Amino acid sequence: MNRLLVGYLLGAILLVEAAAMAPALLIALIYGDGDAMALVKSILALLAVGLPLRFSCKPRERNFRAREGFLVVALSWVALSAFGALPFVFSGELPNYEDAFFEAVSGFTTTGATVTTHFEGAPHGVMFWRSFTHWIGGMGVLVLTLALLPKMGGRTSHLVRAESPGPTLSKIVPKIGDMAKILYVIYLVLTMVEFGLLMAAGMGPYDAAIHAMGTAGTGGFSNYSASVGYFQSGWIDLIITVFMLIFGTNFALYYRIFTGGWRDALRSEELHWFVGIFVLATGLITVIILPQYDSWVQALRYAGFQVSSVMSTTGYATADFNLWPVAAKMIIVILMFIGSCAGSTAGGIKVCRIGMMCKQGLRAVRHTFQPRKVQTVRFEGKGVSEGLVQETATFIFVYVAMVLLGALLVSLEGNFDLETNFTAALTCMSNVGPGMGAVGPVEDFTGYGPFSKVVLSLLMLAGRLEIFPMLALFHPAIWKKQ
Amino acid sequence: MRILVVGDGKVGHTLAEQLIREEHDVIIIDNNDAVLQRCEDALDVLCIHGNGANARTLMDAGVDKADILVAATASDEINMLCCLIAKRLGAQYTIARIRDPEYNESLALLQHETGIDMAVNPERATALEISRLLRFPFANNIEYFARGQVEMVEFRAQEKDVVVGCPLRKLNTRLPEIPKVLYAAVEREGRVMIPNGDFIILPGDRVHVAGEMMTVTNYFRFLGKHSLRIKNVMLLGGGRISYYLAKVIVPMGIRVAMIEINPAKAASLSEALPHVNVIQGDGTDQELLEQEGLQQMDAFVAMCDRDEENLMTGLFAVKQGVPKVIVKNNRVGYADIISGMGLDSIVSPKASTCTAILRYVRARVNGEGTKVERLYRLMNGKAEALEFIAREEDPYIGIALKDLQVRPGTLIAVIVRQGKVIVPFGGDHIEAGDRVVIIACETVINDLNEVIHR
Repeated sequence: MNRLLVGYLLGAILLVEAAAMAPALLIALIYGDGDAMALVKSILALLAVGLPLRFSCKPRERNFRAREGFLVVALSWVALSAFGALPFVFSGELPNYEDAFFEAVSGFTTTGATVTTHFEGAPHGVMFWRSFTHWIGGMGVLVLTLALLPKMGGRTSHLVRAESPGPTLSKIVPKIGDMAKILYVIYLVLTMVEFGLLMAAGMGPYDAAIHAMGTAGTGGFSNYSASVGYFQSGWIDLIITVFMLIFGTNFALYYRIFTGGWRDALRSEELHWFVGIFVLATGLITVIILPQYDSWVQALRYAGFQVSSVMSTTGYATADFNLWPVAAKMIIVILMFIGSCAGSTAGGIKVCRIGMMCKQGLRAVRHTFQPRKVQTVRFEGKGVSEGLVQETATFIFVYVAMVLLGALLVSLEGNFDLETNFTAALTCMSNVGPGMGAVGPVEDFTGYGPFSKVVLSLLMLAGRLEIFPMLALFHPAIWKKQ
Repeated sequence: MRILVVGDGKVGHTLAEQLIREEHDVIIIDNNDAVLQRCEDALDVLCIHGNGANARTLMDAGVDKADILVAATASDEINMLCCLIAKRLGAQYTIARIRDPEYNESLALLQHETGIDMAVNPERATALEISRLLRFPFANNIEYFARGQVEMVEFRAQEKDVVVGCPLRKLNTRLPEIPKVLYAAVEREGRVMIPNGDFIILPGDRVHVAGEMMTVTNYFRFLGKHSLRIKNVMLLGGGRISYYLAKVIVPMGIRVAMIEINPAKAASLSEALPHVNVIQGDGTDQELLEQEGLQQMDAFVAMCDRDEENLMTGLFAVKQGVPKVIVKNNRVGYADIISGMGLDSIVSPKASTCTAILRYVRARVNGEGTKVERLYRLMNGKAEALEFIAREEDPYIGIALKDLQVRPGTLIAVIVRQGKVIVPFGGDHIEAGDRVVIIACETVINDLNEVIHR
């Protein structure tokens, strides 16, 4: 392992985080809630660690191998969260460090599971930082670092691959640095559009910024305990429903609209699966929950918002799906597993993996009665290699195994029932936010003890980085010197 | 620029690597998934899976917006087809590697009909390079500039050479009759240096000297290296390079023995090359080499398919006392390993193809400034020699060199004015129409204006 290179990059990333706290500091100064000092202290802490790392580590060899790539990604996410927690501690919002760490991990991984209990009167700067972590974490900190840093040598694709969700990294332009810039520009423009629309629908600028960033990163932190339900506005519900889906779609498609036109972008098979699952789930839930609501339109509005929120793994709520019939809750749980598209800001197993595995399942069935038939799994109009099929199957197995293991570990405390513990592990792994039972949309995670909070934090990181970079961190071989 | 490279083979990969270093957008097309995967891991490029002669694949790769397409697959036919289709689909320039001697004869027609802007024949280029080395065996490498008026020669300095151990500025006072050449670049222990007046050449250095052709010849005569004339050559391997080489050197009066292992190929070679002594047998067998008179040869050229065999038999020939040994070797790493073992003349078809293509690309980077006329890569690409023609509107015209800013890591080696070769000093200046040869060390240069400022 090239320790100097890892140190150099970690230093650079901490400096980026220090810069990322600047907007929150500005907000704190504008509102004057007395949280500016907390942010200043955090920035100083970041500089105190980041500057020496960045300038004392001078890597001779600037080329990455897979080992450094995965290690840098996993370590930097842990480090970002560890430092990102500081403003919560310093401001006294979450005086326990493990609570603050949980909140920061939840922010960066765009989960949106919270241990914050009092929202009204919380300092604006720290709350802004809490949502801003969603925005950076959604597209990826390393992607941002790559977009900002001068060229880092040829093998940086390992970094982006480890950080961007999906089975394969599909480059849209030859240079990875250009790609990072394009992705962030698309991201920024879409966020600004949503911000504008939310303002037009009647939100104040601060609320609009918080919710636009929460939607863009598919995170789900709100500054109201009733989440988006606080606003009681059909327009706001509609805007956020649509934008959660937009941010759950592969960003490469938006680039393809520019290069190949709408027709080309709409041809994406993953998009068809994504929209198909959304329409099906919304339809089913609307029918199931109809008796609880006054009209079709109301049922459709709440079903659509909740399905969009869970599928995009955002976790905003306008209705408490805890109170829905069990069939609707079951659909929600299934959606938590599936998640959104590869190359989006969302979590979950990803729609393309599910689609591929459905086809692989059909192939296996067919193989039992027609063993001589040669079959290929086709996705996006191309044959999927056996290696990728196997990789995907392995991924899904490990994913489910991690959820079960996590559920087992948080059960050890013995405070909650099976439904609560299982959905808590699942919702953290899939970066959704709310679960069922005692961690439902109107509840929070304060009931868990420090051990469970650490377990859930690790699950969130594993889910965001698609498991393997996180697991690699625990493998002794990765730490050996080269 | 947006450059499409079809075929991620040895040439394609090395070329892509260099093009990225020069900050171009590179897209690689190949139909081998495993190769593409490795390429995607190692290089900052966009990889497209598919056949490069398939219009759909080319469109996926964005051929309509491509500035240059390089077709370097293993097959000449696919390369030509690829260029033909790419040109129709809107690629600006196309470059194809065409190696088969049969196509080579009708190359002009083929090029015209298929819209290929540049055809590269690595084997033929390598054969010409080897023929130059056979003519001037004292050199490890020879390159020509300014339509052959300027010659740049690489040799390895030895203990007994008079230029060793003396600062360059004092050479002329100590040895007044030594012909005046320019010491352009020196490679020592893998590092490339541009020598100044205080530089001292040590034994084992690989020295590049440049100057007028006759001056350089006299220089080597003075050093006592210009005595050997090559009359008998043994060629190992009957591939395309050997064929082209025999075609070139037989008319020069050199007797050629060629060893080829494949009987059918040996038979057709002896038919095509009546004046060549074709021997069928395993050229890596040392006994066979001795029987065929290796010791009596003036030169031995190893050009098998496998680099390892070339290097080993080459070393064997050195041990047997053959005065000039040339080997073909495509792997850069090997050259470093065997350096200092007596094998100094190494030719690489891969490297020469890359150089030829890079020269073409550089010349198209900016249509505005002074174009690269000639580009030559020294020491595995660690340094470059470039030739430009100065233009009237350039700002440095007519100003003494000592009043100009020269970019660090570069050297104005030679100026050629109306057929006269000038090794420039501070008082000299550049005039419009001059051919200027620049040595650049670890920097990329597209334009003469990048080197000299007021």
